[in-house]
Amino acid sequence: MIVIAKELVKQLLKKPFTNLFPAKYAPKSIKQFLRDAKEGKVKLNPPVVVPPNFRGKIEYDEKKCIRCKLCTRVCPAKALEYVEKENIIKYHLFRCAFCGQCVDVCPTGALKLTKEFLLAGYKKD
Amino acid sequence: MIEIVYKIGMVPVIAVLGIVLGLLYNGIDRKLAARMQSRVGPPIIQPFIDIKKLLMKESIVPRHAIKWLFNLMPVLALSASLLTLLYIPFCGIGPAFEGYGDLVLVLYLLVLPPLAITLGAFASGSHYATIGAQREMVTMISYELPLAIAIVSVAWLLSMANPSLPVFSLSVISNNPIWNFTTPLSFLGLLIIFIALLLVIPGELGKTPFDVAEAETEIAEGVFAEYSGRNLALFYLANAVRTIAIASLIIAIFLPWNLSTFFNFSYLSLLFDALFFLIKLFVIIFISSVFIRVIVPRLRITQVVSTYWFYTTLIALLGMLLIWIGCCLKG
Amino acid sequence: MKKIADTGNEQNSFTFCVGPVHPALKEPLQFTFKIEGERVKKVDFMLSHVHRGIEWMGTRRNPIQIIYLAERICGICNISHPFAFCRAVESVAGIEVPPRAEYIRTINAELERIHSHLLWAGIAAHELGFDSVLHYILKARERVLDIIEYITGNRITKGIMMIGGVRRDISKKQYRKIIEAMEYYKKQVKKISDILLKDHVVKARTINTGILSKADAIKLCAVGPTARASGVKRDVRQDEPYAAYKYLDVEAITPATIGKETRGDVYDRTLVRLAEIRQSVNIIVECLKSMPEGKIAYEDKIPKLLAELKSVEGEGIGRHEAPRGEVLHYIKLIGNETLFSWKVRAPTYANLLSWVPMLLGAQIADIPIIAASTDPCLSCTNRAVITKHGKHVVIDHEALHELSVKKTLALRKVKHD
Repeated sequence: MIVIAKELVKQLLKKPFTNLFPAKYAPKSIKQFLRDAKEGKVKLNPPVVVPPNFRGKIEYDEKKCIRCKLCTRVCPAKALEYVEKENIIKYHLFRCAFCGQCVDVCPTGALKLTKEFLLAGYKKD
Repeated sequence: MIEIVYKIGMVPVIAVLGIVLGLLYNGIDRKLAARMQSRVGPPIIQPFIDIKKLLMKESIVPRHAIKWLFNLMPVLALSASLLTLLYIPFCGIGPAFEGYGDLVLVLYLLVLPPLAITLGAFASGSHYATIGAQREMVTMISYELPLAIAIVSVAWLLSMANPSLPVFSLSVISNNPIWNFTTPLSFLGLLIIFIALLLVIPGELGKTPFDVAEAETEIAEGVFAEYSGRNLALFYLANAVRTIAIASLIIAIFLPWNLSTFFNFSYLSLLFDALFFLIKLFVIIFISSVFIRVIVPRLRITQVVSTYWFYTTLIALLGMLLIWIGCCLKG
Repeated sequence: MKKIADTGNEQNSFTFCVGPVHPALKEPLQFTFKIEGERVKKVDFMLSHVHRGIEWMGTRRNPIQIIYLAERICGICNISHPFAFCRAVESVAGIEVPPRAEYIRTINAELERIHSHLLWAGIAAHELGFDSVLHYILKARERVLDIIEYITGNRITKGIMMIGGVRRDISKKQYRKIIEAMEYYKKQVKKISDILLKDHVVKARTINTGILSKADAIKLCAVGPTARASGVKRDVRQDEPYAAYKYLDVEAITPATIGKETRGDVYDRTLVRLAEIRQSVNIIVECLKSMPEGKIAYEDKIPKLLAELKSVEGEGIGRHEAPRGEVLHYIKLIGNETLFSWKVRAPTYANLLSWVPMLLGAQIADIPIIAASTDPCLSCTNRAVITKHGKHVVIDHEALHELSVKKTLALRKVKHD
């Protein structure tokens, strides 16, 4: 009882541990808040910095791709799909498990891991 | 005639003040608890937002509930809590209904809201609420004993010092700070009783570790399990007002000093007294509600009973004994 | 999945349900109790609200894809499941794992044990109504999650396991940060132990609550900390050393090994788990010290590995000591790209029945902490839902046996075709 009381009083005097991303309190209207943030009226608290080698959203470079289809074979979530008609590898972000295996197998470096992890959006693609 | 008008006029003022202060202190309570746990916590006005939301929502009455009882009890709880406030010195001024009721009446009024909660829970017909109501009754029975001992010993001390006074009258108690009548031994006894009363508050308010009646992880908010919308909002308000009422009662008995008795601020004295009262209120609520709540886990119902009937009662009895010995030695 | 223990009379008792949705339960599970006053007289529980058909999905994927599927069986033990699966595949294919990879696997598994046990301690405190400790412990847990993110690239789904090794090396530069974190945990775990093991009120709630005797633990096949807290010295890392554990001296922790009395109650389970965090910290430091240089995978090129696995035939079993107990994966390969059969036995499955002796005679107030004390992970456990016309059906032993025989015959037929 005494140990926890001591720790709690110590914490009372310190700043909260919570990461205040993107704002301290929920705004009244989230859409308005995002619009204001875009115009620079309000400042967003930055998210936590991710370490190097973070596995985030995958970037696909169509020009480098040789269509070997290795990535579609190793992808555990079937997030990469070869579309015959357009001769293109299609990346389904909402299925992706961010394992980074496709990046490992890609012989030309057409696929790359980025640090982007804020992936919520209004549309599915 | 003017007196009656004044009394009636005070009713809405005290009611509004009690509700606003209750919610404000609830917000501060939540914020402080959050900061102690290294969280940001809700904004201080969050309870107002909660109440506003709850008032807008539909009150759902379960199919098996006794409808009139289920809907009546929140109203009863809130009105009883507000009524308590009218008999207690509040914000540096004397009780609004001075002379029409004393400490014993206040004690009875304080029992009413838990009773209303219990009845409402039984009327809701839910298993969780039934278990919660049983637990609430047991908790109520257990904390009443140390509470009664503490109050009686305070009155006893006063009557021994000054037999002619109506010792249960709250304005008398608050105008004659009891610490003035103590010898060293009875001072110690009074201090012990003060501590016992601080332990009773979390039980009265249903805060951890004595929140067995609404234990969230066990019986899903127990007594409030079936309440929603306006009814739940009324219960929240009742609880907030009761917090203020109980803390004010403790202040009236143990910390009755006003700044204006020591310094003379002329016409500003009322304001300073009110501010000083708010600080005292904060201290009492912080110690008895926030601090105790964050440092202990919830007890079992059997442990609640043994804590109150055995340990707290023992503490209170010890205080009573010390007061008696102290007064006898003096006499 | 049904067990009824019947005592007490029918009069003045009533039925009390906890779940499938209840604040005390983090995952769906339905308890039905017969209650007399505040005492539990009869226990019955029902699972399978979150059956996901993962094993079925597995038979439509190649082994390397399954690693990531196995990772998603459980959010918390997501090194354990791929670890056991990889060991199973390796045993079938006869793949030898390079020593450095074994050490890295061990480090990751122990990091996972630290964060899982810390999370458990927080949840247990929450079940006791001690939210300050929940927040305090979760704050401490952030550090190990940061280390996991630093090593593997993500906080929870680590994606580091690969058949025949691991996918990412731990470079010399990263050692310092890991060792610093371990020093932090040595201090922090001591504080948490003071809070959870020496606090009088917590002790009053946990000692002699939910007792599982040693005989019951052995009879009901309990695994992991649940069994060890009852005094059963059972730990895969000790009994059948694998990975880097064979180079280290790992001993199963029971209350007796720490010099405490064994009661088999919730307090002992807390004690064992906190001691295991300390043990894991020591293992990680030891591993970092003695880690050899060398390759980190049997085969770097995944397509080549896949081609090799295509021609493998046979069945294999992989075991691993997950934070909750022994996890077991059985696989069968028949020279196809996909698996023929995959069977997972999560540790919670073995621990389910030990709930019954624990809960009998307990108070309502103790139900959440007892249910949480085995650290149940129900969505990992759910293997089958039996429905008839859209309703849950309970199947008894004979009917289940008959169904199994039918299924085995059908499978044999498929193989011969």
